[in-house]
Amino acid sequence: MAKQQWAEAGVGAAVLAAAAAFLIYSLSAGGSGGRAGGYDVSAKFGQVGSLAPGAGVRVAGVQIGTVTKITLDPKTFFAVVRFDLDPKVKLPSDSTAKITSDGLLGGAHVVIEPGSAADDIKSGGEIENTQGAVDLFGLIGQVLRPPAPAAGDAAPAAPASPAKAP
Amino acid sequence: MDAAPLPAALTPFRAVGRAVLGLLIQVGSVVLFAARGVLAMLKPPWFFGQFVRQLQTIGYFSLPVVGLTAVFTGAALALNIYTGGGRFNAEQIMPQIVALGITRELGPVLAALMLAGRVSAAIAAEIGAMRATEQIDAMQTLSTDPFHYLIAPRLAAALVTLPLLTMTADIIGVAGGWFVATKALAFNPTVYVRNTWDFLQSWDVVSGLIKAAVFGFIVALMGCYHGLNATGGARGVGRATTHAVVSAAILIFAADYLLTSLFTHR
Repeated sequence: MAKQQWAEAGVGAAVLAAAAAFLIYSLSAGGSGGRAGGYDVSAKFGQVGSLAPGAGVRVAGVQIGTVTKITLDPKTFFAVVRFDLDPKVKLPSDSTAKITSDGLLGGAHVVIEPGSAADDIKSGGEIENTQGAVDLFGLIGQVLRPPAPAAGDAAPAAPASPAKAP
Repeated sequence: MDAAPLPAALTPFRAVGRAVLGLLIQVGSVVLFAARGVLAMLKPPWFFGQFVRQLQTIGYFSLPVVGLTAVFTGAALALNIYTGGGRFNAEQIMPQIVALGITRELGPVLAALMLAGRVSAAIAAEIGAMRATEQIDAMQTLSTDPFHYLIAPRLAAALVTLPLLTMTADIIGVAGGWFVATKALAFNPTVYVRNTWDFLQSWDVVSGLIKAAVFGFIVALMGCYHGLNATGGARGVGRATTHAVVSAAILIFAADYLLTSLFTHR
């Protein structure tokens, strides 16, 4: 009995240790997820939407880095996003960074479209051409309830079409 | 009155009546037993040594079983929700649904079911064997109340440990989902964890822990009740363990529904 209980006690301790390890990992991952070794680039966006630190940075669909930090520039009210990028990937200085959503309800990631300039973005540099997140639900709201009084002459297609239908 | 010349046509009604009365008696005696158990937990002769021993056997030694159940459930849940979410392009909310499902429902219920299998049966067998070998009668002769010495420590230990086990199961269950999501489904590990943290509210976890405390009480109660009422030697002990596990499992599900509807309609 005693021997078996030692085994059980050991496994129990291992379970607790695994739980504690994951808890500690997840608490630390709440801060920043950037690993050292990449190079640091920033970009300013008017709207980051649901982008969060740890989100992927992709070129042509291939992940080349992660978002490490998102802060607000208190003077211009732009969101400053810092990326940690794979040092093997050199981006031309006129590349464009866009925030794209992963799905209808999901998070967001950054897509970089490489430009054609001869010089590369250095570590600590900034991507100047950016396109912020699109507020999908805001767009849906505009479509469903268009600002009617302003657009007087632009008669919407909806009332006209039922007349033709029969 | 005189019940002797009953027509044969009434026999089915008599059977139904007997069954209903039997059910009422059963329910009543469980409730009385629970009340005596709670009283024994609250009133002085406390046996702390017994309590600590039960904490160890009920709580600590159940960790491996609960942990394994939780990790596999979390992993399977992640795959299933990924498939379901994929049908309307919402794979990305998988971390949130997994976290909610584990903390509110699966963590407490699965931990309680594993405890019902492991602990209810063990308690019923132990106390049933003591009943069969007349140790409990001997205890009463020595003016030691079995409710204070045997029942109360087990009830209290299960009540305390099942929420703790559930907390472990919650963490490990989410870890199981995280593992599958990052290794098999190409989720970003940091984003997964962050989504989970951002989404979970403290009530999700707390309501699960309240459920777990109730389930813990049920598990120990069923073990003690069926053990102490075991009759008929070795076969009676076997029957008591089966009844303990089955009734504990059914009561856990029933209580789960009642508590969930109570918590969600606040």
